[in-house]
Amino acid sequence: MTITRRNVLLGATATAAMLPIAARAQTSEVVIGLTYPFSGANAQIGVDAQKAYETAAEIINKNYDFDLLLAKGEGLSGLGGAKVRLVFADHQSDPQKGRAETERLITQEKVCAVIGTYQSAVAVTVSQICERYQIPFISADNSSPSLHRRGLKFYFRAAPHDEMYSAAMFDFFDAMKKKGTKIETLALFHEDTIFGTDSGNAQLKLANERGYKVVADIKYRSNSPSLSAEVQQLKAANADVLMPSSYTTDSILLVKTLAELGYKPNAIVAQDAGFSEKALYDAVGDKLEGVISRGTFSLDLATKRPMVGKINAMFKEKSGKDFNDLTSRQFMGLIVMADAINRAKSTDGDKIREALVATDIVGEQTIMPWKRIKFDEMGQNNEADPVLLQYVGGKFVTISPPQAAVAEASWPMK
Amino acid sequence: MGLLYGLIAVGLALIFGLMDVVNFAHGEFLMIAMYATFFLFAFFAVDPLLAAPLVAAALFVFGAVVYLLIVRFAVRAKANAGMVQIFTTFGLAIVMRGLSQYFFTPDYRSITHSWLGGKTVSIAGIFLPVPQLAGALVSIAAFGALYFFINRTDFGRALEATREDAGAVALVGIDKNRVFALGWGLGAALVGLAGAIMAMFFYIYPDVGASFALIAYVTVALGGFGSVFGAFAGGIVVGLVEATTALILPPSLKSVGIYAVYLLVVFIRPRGLFGSL
Repeated sequence: MTITRRNVLLGATATAAMLPIAARAQTSEVVIGLTYPFSGANAQIGVDAQKAYETAAEIINKNYDFDLLLAKGEGLSGLGGAKVRLVFADHQSDPQKGRAETERLITQEKVCAVIGTYQSAVAVTVSQICERYQIPFISADNSSPSLHRRGLKFYFRAAPHDEMYSAAMFDFFDAMKKKGTKIETLALFHEDTIFGTDSGNAQLKLANERGYKVVADIKYRSNSPSLSAEVQQLKAANADVLMPSSYTTDSILLVKTLAELGYKPNAIVAQDAGFSEKALYDAVGDKLEGVISRGTFSLDLATKRPMVGKINAMFKEKSGKDFNDLTSRQFMGLIVMADAINRAKSTDGDKIREALVATDIVGEQTIMPWKRIKFDEMGQNNEADPVLLQYVGGKFVTISPPQAAVAEASWPMK
Repeated sequence: MGLLYGLIAVGLALIFGLMDVVNFAHGEFLMIAMYATFFLFAFFAVDPLLAAPLVAAALFVFGAVVYLLIVRFAVRAKANAGMVQIFTTFGLAIVMRGLSQYFFTPDYRSITHSWLGGKTVSIAGIFLPVPQLAGALVSIAAFGALYFFINRTDFGRALEATREDAGAVALVGIDKNRVFALGWGLGAALVGLAGAIMAMFFYIYPDVGASFALIAYVTVALGGFGSVFGAFAGGIVVGLVEATTALILPPSLKSVGIYAVYLLVVFIRPRGLFGSL
């Protein structure tokens, strides 16, 4: 028999087709899918997220002497040292693309777990698909409170949600008021997808409960070409605190428009997102001295926990940036998922889910200022304490809550 | 803002009116112009105001080259010419967006300080940002120049004539390709001018063109296809309608007003307010 080119090709294709099956049988690697925006308006988020996940995977797959979970030893010991392999998918900030890409990750790439997604609106569809295929999903950096209240069994979130974050802001306001600072009126400014809407609702509710007057509640179209009309209304309201919930593009435009229309808010307390992005401070940092943003992460922690500084250095080498609120949560997302797979000793969706339910990680084994990671029956970790950070002299310092604070808040902002 | 919308739209109107090609890559032309301004600023510390003529010139060349290398062949299509043109420029848009994401990274850039950036004049309690004001003045000047150019010069007449009947002008010795290439260049130069001014107050990233391009299409359709003055007027209408809607309705619905007015105009006067076609 002569071996034709076609035979060789057929043979090669067959071998290639067999490979994933063989790999799965031995579980020499664990494939985890990550879905982020790699193109479109928020592409930079995806690019940075990829670096954060690669840093986490490197720490899991190689031997490091950190107190971090899974750092010691190579790979996942529960699966005979299996290595974690990451597959990234681009959802373009579009919930429908997120749905399709997640389906592809599960059926084509055979991932055993999914992590994502930056936008809460995309997390809605991605988590539904994961539920249908019984694949565990960790919402690493989504903050909408409605996400974990949909009765999904395969949904988990280690980080706080916007009600917890907003509560931290109002705790801070209460504390400032006790010290004699005048905080009576608030202006809410939020974008019109699920993130901004949920955040705005949570803040409105808290303001009513705690006796603050909301003098402006402005919902705007995200990625607007102009925010002049919106800023005019903010200026007319002139509240004691401006509370934006905006992604990066809108945050830049907001700050520029504020300056153009000659309005200097007394104080800005932001719901993260755009306000933790380096791009914003590169563009308009000079106008943001003293801005306050909520977060879950602070580099201050490195003084108490040296590994935080070392891991940050690894990330910085890859991305050219320090860990921020988003990238640190993404990093932890993979660690938590890998830990569950390690304890499940399996890549089976149900077994990983059981392991996630049993998760109990103490704060010292993470890079976060959290008490612990333990999921309630809805998959939410309620022991992740948010912090408030203030942008002073080109970097963020923790100003609240008192047990984590390293500096007093300077109020009003400059 | 309306005048800038108009300036972006007029380039589109010129190309459309000239040769019945809708340039779907128009927003990407704007994006390239903004990046060009940004890089001139970042590497050579050229102020956007000085960069504007340079960027316009560069975009002129770019537009002409795009016509000669790509669009010229697309309009030659024997069957289904309309579709071929749409897909060609649409494809061009995706390629430009992809390439700029690859080379410039998707990070948001801004021009941090310029002569006019961040300055505001206050007239009787009304704050007018200086960059937008300068943009409006440049827009008016550009419109004036363009109007003069099209209606009073030989080349302008050649442009009009070629649009009317490309076959006939060939008989009197006008090279169709040359005229069209210049027309594309001119359209691109105008959007280049708009891009340079916008870079002063807007953030820059590979997808920045999309939201402005959509408004540009509406502006052109509103003002009337092929009419330079129409695009100018359309831009002002769009700017005013947007600002008024934001006062009456919640700001998140402010673009509703633009599209409502657009629909109204298209229903009542399908060729647009000043359409000549």
